[in-house]
Amino acid sequence: MTANPQISREQVLAALRDVQDPELHKSIVELDMVKDIQIRDGVVSVEALLTIGGCPLRDTIQSSIEEQIRQLPGVRGVQVQLGVMTQEQRQTLITKLRGGEVSPMHRSSFLTADSPTRIIVVASGKGGVGKSTVTVNLAVALRRLGHRVGIIDADVYGFSIPRMLGLTGQPTMVDQMIIPLEKDGIRVMSIGFLLPNEGEAVIWRGPMLHKTLTTFIGEVHWGDDLEYLLIDLPPGTGDVSITIAQTLPQAPMVIVTTPQLAAVNVAQRAARMAEKVNMEVLGIIENMSWFQASPADPPVYIFGRGGGLRLAELLGVPLLGEIPLDPAIREGSDTGEPIVTSHPDSPAGRVFRQVAARLVERLPMKVG
Amino acid sequence: MSPRMVTPVEIGSVVEPVLRIVWSDGHHSVYGWRSLRLHCPCAACKGEWTVRRHLDPASVPENVRALRIERVGAYALRPVWTDGHSTGIYTFPNLRHEICECDECTARRAAGG
Repeated sequence: MTANPQISREQVLAALRDVQDPELHKSIVELDMVKDIQIRDGVVSVEALLTIGGCPLRDTIQSSIEEQIRQLPGVRGVQVQLGVMTQEQRQTLITKLRGGEVSPMHRSSFLTADSPTRIIVVASGKGGVGKSTVTVNLAVALRRLGHRVGIIDADVYGFSIPRMLGLTGQPTMVDQMIIPLEKDGIRVMSIGFLLPNEGEAVIWRGPMLHKTLTTFIGEVHWGDDLEYLLIDLPPGTGDVSITIAQTLPQAPMVIVTTPQLAAVNVAQRAARMAEKVNMEVLGIIENMSWFQASPADPPVYIFGRGGGLRLAELLGVPLLGEIPLDPAIREGSDTGEPIVTSHPDSPAGRVFRQVAARLVERLPMKVG
Repeated sequence: MSPRMVTPVEIGSVVEPVLRIVWSDGHHSVYGWRSLRLHCPCAACKGEWTVRRHLDPASVPENVRALRIERVGAYALRPVWTDGHSTGIYTFPNLRHEICECDECTARRAAGG
């Protein structure tokens, strides 16, 4: 390539298009964060504006800008100056993130029937069946398939997603908009991020739950490139489940159950609710199906057999997978490394990945 | 899995003299505004399962209309009424099968069907 002594502003701008704000997942050019570009004798000076003063990802943005511009032919030096947006500029940005012009009718993209994001609600009849474990592992599996994934931890009282993914910290707020936390490319919002410490209890009645959930759906910047959003419901058919059913125009559900036949009845109630609120049940996931001490040993059916299949038959939906018990699943949940991350080829890891693939088959990405 | 719920494919405008809904099963429904208001299924108008209540028609203005109609999830509509009421969630099966006022449905109900 011949050196081009003449670098144009357009070239620089085109290069900066590939620099994303690490939290907002959009190009800094698109976000109007690039304020000024000066080019003198092959030295490019860029002035960019950050959304907030103490931006923790300041250095990341600075080095990505430098890296991109250095790749341009003829560049001899790069100077990056970072400023901070004014209140007014920030407001314009928020408006943009919310999907365009301010309008009283505007709603978050999930709230419209033609949203490109596929929602999967993970429900169960009773607690303790491993719903959150299934949610995080499906999220990791969907991510491994190359999809952009988010999780809403709607189990407000019994939130556990943050620990299972090893996520702590508080979400950044850009004015009234919440930026979800992220782990290995999975965007997560949980009430756990908003409490002073993990041991804090949430002691709320329905209206507060409703407000929290609608905030997680409507006021969190999930990004319009999000492909799958998993919602981890609390067990049963209470306030939170009703809010989800009333807020989202489309929310297909998977039901997690254990092999025990006694659990089938309870799980069936979750399906009953889905029917009443016109949510499609995509299938059943049976968790804790069996235990095998080693591949040579026969499987032990600790919690009985056939519950998942029975429920699937009763509802006329597919049994998406049977997940064996594996101490590594529990360990992973405690250390923040889901089994699909740590042991993707273990028997359990493989089932999670198969279930994810089947869900993608059922809910393919919308084109266009 | 039981067949999916019947859903509206077309919902008429609140400026029309009556509410018209075309359903996914092809049925054309029609509802008078006031009669729709009188059918409000909310706990304040209809009561809960322990306490049955009846909405006093005299308390509902003759010219009551919906200001707007919101969708509730994938299963219901919620009208916001000119008399200030807005807590009624009318499920699609209720609208389609129980309170439709088209000639066919009115005749069927009159015949006890």
